[in-house]
Amino acid sequence: MRLIAAAIIALLIGALPARAQPKDTLTVDLPGDVATMDPQLQWDTDSYTVYRNIFDNLLTRDVSGKIVPQVATAWRYTNDTTIVFDLRSDILFHDGSRLTPDDVVFSIARITNPALKSPQLSQFDQIASAETTGPTQVTLHTKSPYPALLAQLVKLSIVPKAYVEKVGDTAFNQAVIGSGPYRLKSWQRGVQTNLEANEGYWRGKPFFKAVTFRAVPDSATRIADLRTGRADITRGLTPDDAVAMKNEKALKLSSIATERVAYLFVNALSGPTKDKRVRQAIAMAIDRDTLISALQQGYAKPTNIVLTPANFGYVADVKGWPFDPAKARALIKEAGAEGATISFITSPAYDRRLNEAVQQMLEDVGLKMTIAVMDQPTYLRRRLGTPEDAGSLSQGRWSCACQDADGVIFPLFRSGSVWSKFTNPEYDAEVDAARATLDDARRLAHYHRAFEILREEVPGIGLFQDEAIYLMRRELAFTPTANEAFFVYDMKWE
Amino acid sequence: MIGHIASRLGQALLASFGVLTIVFFIMRLSGDPTLLLVPEGASLEQINQLRHQLGFDRPLPIQFAAYLGDLARLDFGESLVQRAPVLGIVAERIPYTVALASGALLVAIGIGIPAGIVMAVARGTWLERALAGFVLAGQSLPTFWSGILLILLFGVTLGWLPTSGADGIASLIMPSLALGAVGMSTFARMTRIAVLDELSRDYVTAARARGLSRGQAVVGHVLRNAAVPVVTIAALEIGNLLAGAVIVETVFAWPGIGQLAIQSIQSRDFLVVQTVVLFVSLVYVATNLLADLLYALIDPRIRMGA
Amino acid sequence: MRRISPGMMVVLGLLALFVAAALAAPLLSPFDPLRQSLLLRLKPPGSLLGGRTFILGTDDLGRDLLSRVLFGARVSLLVSVVAVALSFVVGTALGMVAGWYRGAVAVVIMRLVDTMLSIPAILLAVLTVAVLGPGFLNLVVVLGLTRWPRYARVAYGQTLQVAVLPYIRAAEMAGAGSTRILWRHILPNIAGPLMVVATSEFGLMILFEAGLSFLGLGIQPPAPSWGSIMAAGRQYVERAWWLTVFPGACLFGVVLCVNVTGDWLRDRLDPRAASR
Repeated sequence: MRLIAAAIIALLIGALPARAQPKDTLTVDLPGDVATMDPQLQWDTDSYTVYRNIFDNLLTRDVSGKIVPQVATAWRYTNDTTIVFDLRSDILFHDGSRLTPDDVVFSIARITNPALKSPQLSQFDQIASAETTGPTQVTLHTKSPYPALLAQLVKLSIVPKAYVEKVGDTAFNQAVIGSGPYRLKSWQRGVQTNLEANEGYWRGKPFFKAVTFRAVPDSATRIADLRTGRADITRGLTPDDAVAMKNEKALKLSSIATERVAYLFVNALSGPTKDKRVRQAIAMAIDRDTLISALQQGYAKPTNIVLTPANFGYVADVKGWPFDPAKARALIKEAGAEGATISFITSPAYDRRLNEAVQQMLEDVGLKMTIAVMDQPTYLRRRLGTPEDAGSLSQGRWSCACQDADGVIFPLFRSGSVWSKFTNPEYDAEVDAARATLDDARRLAHYHRAFEILREEVPGIGLFQDEAIYLMRRELAFTPTANEAFFVYDMKWE
Repeated sequence: MIGHIASRLGQALLASFGVLTIVFFIMRLSGDPTLLLVPEGASLEQINQLRHQLGFDRPLPIQFAAYLGDLARLDFGESLVQRAPVLGIVAERIPYTVALASGALLVAIGIGIPAGIVMAVARGTWLERALAGFVLAGQSLPTFWSGILLILLFGVTLGWLPTSGADGIASLIMPSLALGAVGMSTFARMTRIAVLDELSRDYVTAARARGLSRGQAVVGHVLRNAAVPVVTIAALEIGNLLAGAVIVETVFAWPGIGQLAIQSIQSRDFLVVQTVVLFVSLVYVATNLLADLLYALIDPRIRMGA
Repeated sequence: MRRISPGMMVVLGLLALFVAAALAAPLLSPFDPLRQSLLLRLKPPGSLLGGRTFILGTDDLGRDLLSRVLFGARVSLLVSVVAVALSFVVGTALGMVAGWYRGAVAVVIMRLVDTMLSIPAILLAVLTVAVLGPGFLNLVVVLGLTRWPRYARVAYGQTLQVAVLPYIRAAEMAGAGSTRILWRHILPNIAGPLMVVATSEFGLMILFEAGLSFLGLGIQPPAPSWGSIMAAGRQYVERAWWLTVFPGACLFGVVLCVNVTGDWLRDRLDPRAASR
């Protein structure tokens, strides 16, 4: 009791640090707190945003999205399942120890070890083994030819072997040490994370001496923080929020088309949508252009397929279904599905307005649609459950953070995947083949055929390429990227 | 007396155990967190493997027994999402929660009770009606709306108070107002009725006949007797002030256990939810035990019953 | 019977007006409350567009706000009335029984009350909605389930107080049965505070549904309730004030009328107050 009283007093008289920010500290408002500081555990967007500033990755992407060196300087395939990486030798961890090939091997072994219970395991479990093959060299073996390997390694943070082994996983998560541009200074759970610059960073001294990431769940409050100067940059805003901020003098908006695709899932195995004609009719009932201009306020780019141009495997010449309510109505009549009930399942995580707009568009062509909003775990349990339980339709916003079709349409539509409510052997053969070769031209040809099958069968409807919207102080220089990376190292005052 | 308190304590622990049981099973009926933890491309085998590693494929009674076993050793476990000891995660939020609950109670009682007394004494006047409208406004505005209006007024337009976060007493003011306003009207109306009831009783008439003024009668006798229902309401509010401040804490980014609880429910971080609920239930039960004892002190007419 | 004061007439009239508006929503609404026009989003009150007048403006999907507020009255009032009735009956009955019999009966009932009350209502509601699934009936059941203990607690405390009064003792001595005493003598004596709880709860239930709507788990879209209209409109507090101000004003009006009516009813029902 006395402890609590002391803590309250400390809280109440505690100084008011965030009031007058020195200009060399950047304050970031995020929708949530960091779940784990350990980069090999949780990978939700908020955790990812913070810890990626503390660690270096084996590879990274430049602003244009190209995979470029970071810890690795060069790499080459010696055969379809073996790849050799040359590493830098001048990287130091925050405790002064040198980053060696052993740390890279340890990082791979750690995240692929089931005992860590890492939720990220499935992104790396195609790696069979890794070994140190020279003073600055590491060799990786994959279980089979695995074209998405490099894209996955962009997400592999290198952790210090000696330190992790010394303190153990739990203590490491509380007080991480990395080799990145910022080091962890303090972490008040649920409140904020404070980072300070790593002055001896190998790519050069960071511009900002310190960074504070605050957890502010309500977007209206985040906007108020920006307007009062309490925060310098935030994300997670809706297009309507952005429009309302256009006239703020001290603030500016920045947006970028991301690799996140907004789509409608259509259940091809159960309910009224089991009939292909009904699925095609739904595709023709959706007025995509109005959704983009009215609801997204232009913050989106139309796409005909369930993939964005930011992903490898995007094919521009596969036709979409035209918006044609009369034809849709006729097709529904032909299928005998007039007045059939389409059950739309969703959660508060998805844009409510889009759901309701789709509802009206379907009712305009003679279908009935019911919306059931449940919380996210319940929604996922149904969406990933049996076809009978998965509803007829739902909204999705998919990003594999790998910018490759393999991470999008393979899990979404390949039969046997938990997300897929669609069975088509020809389609399965195409996406399987695209996953088993390293030849880009052949992969693209397979995806082209795969998307033509999806167009005809409509197990999903591509709506638009989503844009990430950032609101920041006018003086802040920051170029957002398609993979929604948030590297403070790349920001500065203008 | 001591025997009575001991038996009440025993019953209280039983109530807390009931809470824990209800929450444990309801939460598990609503699914486990595995699907939220895996990346979007994970296969069924990978999902089942993680579920097995996390132990959610075991039968519920076995999970419950294992949990009670840990609890008996005062082991509250490790959060699935944060991978840190649950006790620490919850304990870090308690000072913030206690601060907000105290602030809100101060607002509710500090405004509600005086308003209630004035409303009773000034019965039937314009003053009573104006006060009634004022205290009710707090109760009839959704906090998600009044909260953002407060932020826009005092934070953005006037610039007097910080718009979010938990930096000292200045950032406690707006959340306390928004949360306290909800309970204010209940206190005011309960006080008004209790005072009216007491004013009509014989002893007040007798007191006034002895030459005491109306004001003296109110202060000396009426308030003491009117306190019973007010204490009842205050004790009832505790649970909701502690973990029910979900929306206020979300709007003001106040790091209390309400926000922690709702986020943990949404991520099915079972052990965190269970620990929060256990904590709230113990505090609640203790407060109400205290209220019962207070009844006896305030109003000797009540015999020590159940 | 005392005469109803003019002020009270106004309040009762207003309340009747709200109820009538809710019942007659289909007749009064100028437009279909669900019909969207994505090109007419967020138009201010009084907008004349394409030959149609939107008296209260349009919402973020271009639906007529006046029609939505009228239909929202139906949903909000119905949720609240059913939930309050459910929890009032269950809670009062159990609380009185506990206060009258005391002993083991009271221990069991009041510990159950403690158990239910010590789980914060909003958390219990979110959990229950997750298990039961969304929908009107489930929502009302959840609200009833989480709120009855408040009546029970007050009924219990009041019954304890009243039971020791001399005239109850006298009735008991005269041979009246427990049921009769509870119904005829205790209930009228404790109805005042209970009525206050019920009338406060009435407003709280509307707000509770609003809170669940804010968390995305209230009344299912696209059906409007005042709470869900406001939850959706709060994003536009500055840009489209009408989305929160009009349903907010209705909410305030109804809660005020109900509370004033509650106090008035209490004064009439309370035998002690009647003698004043």
